[in-house]
Amino acid sequence: MKLATLSKKGLIRSLNSGGLRFKIGAFTICLSSPIAEVADHLLALYGAFELIDDEAFIDFYTLLAPPSKVRRYFRPQVNFSFDGFIPFKPLPYNQASAMFEWGLNWCIANHSHQHLIIHAAVVERNGRAFIFPGTPGSGKSTLCAALVCSGWRLLSDEMTLLSLADGLVYPVPRPISLKNRSIDVIRSLHPDAVMGQVVNDTLKGTVGHLRPPDSSVESGAIPAQPAKLIFPKYQDASKTELTPLSKARAFLKVAENSFNYNVLGVVGFNSLGALIDASDCYEFKYSRLDEALALFAELAR
Amino acid sequence: MISFSYGNSICCRFWEDECVVYNQLTGSTHLIDGLGVEVFKAVSEKKSSRSEFLKNLQSVFDLPVDFDLETGLDNLLLEYQKLGLLQVMENSPA
Repeated sequence: MKLATLSKKGLIRSLNSGGLRFKIGAFTICLSSPIAEVADHLLALYGAFELIDDEAFIDFYTLLAPPSKVRRYFRPQVNFSFDGFIPFKPLPYNQASAMFEWGLNWCIANHSHQHLIIHAAVVERNGRAFIFPGTPGSGKSTLCAALVCSGWRLLSDEMTLLSLADGLVYPVPRPISLKNRSIDVIRSLHPDAVMGQVVNDTLKGTVGHLRPPDSSVESGAIPAQPAKLIFPKYQDASKTELTPLSKARAFLKVAENSFNYNVLGVVGFNSLGALIDASDCYEFKYSRLDEALALFAELAR
Repeated sequence: MISFSYGNSICCRFWEDECVVYNQLTGSTHLIDGLGVEVFKAVSEKKSSRSEFLKNLQSVFDLPVDFDLETGLDNLLLEYQKLGLLQVMENSPA
């Protein structure tokens, strides 16, 4: 049963009594929250996700709730907790949904060491995964959103999960986090794309989340073979330039963009080496999404 | 005779004219290019006597006549030894 089959009332009831249990890729989540905006966020962006039954094993028990005492009423705030542990300082109450997305990133990045986790968007076409590692501001999420809105399968806009067991990329298809100008860029290119609540003045500026395509969510159990490693860099008015990057340098750049390369030790070194062996590596500079899309469509043939 | 090697804690991967070297003891990863790649190739192929290696380098690199290869190599070996990537040993002649 999909989350979209729940009414808002039913969803709020689940969030308030024992938690809403659902599946994202290979992960199972239980989310509890008394905050009505969280229900709106889920209804807008998580409709295609499968609900799971009460007996199923849960990877991440999460809670979004106001802190106790004064901050429940005066300039209200929200806390994210995982198994009762609060990893972050509270945020303003209106950022609860964004906090859920960031909190879930933290859960996966800190507890999924069966994968080499790379800070990278990853999309797939014709069975081949294109991985876009990048620091915030590099334009990876914008590029990812544009590709996904053009029919590419979304595996993740934030973290690439490379299996240590088989070297494949496993999906964790969640809403795509867009920031600042990217929100309007994607809205103008794809007016039909569903965007959740846009929140101003977060630590990352203005943030909005784009609903992942239903087909990507439904393919959440199907891994993809890595094919291209592309380091994007958005630069105003730049030409579209795809430049080959040496494999050894690509290795170092991916290691720098990995959440757990250092944790995994030699296993991480070998997995990353195998990824580099399997991938063509490039640096990519762009300012025009239409040219970028045409180029990647050609590369995916 | 001087020879060099690396222990079990070192892993290397080679791509064209570069390689990455991982030190399991420190957790550090190093990008190596140029002459250094030949050093690590030689070690991984167990051709690590300094004199043999010097002969090989002359044939691999088109070096200027006045380039002091021996000093260059010794400095490099010393640097890699300091980083814990290589062990440089002075052995008795066989």
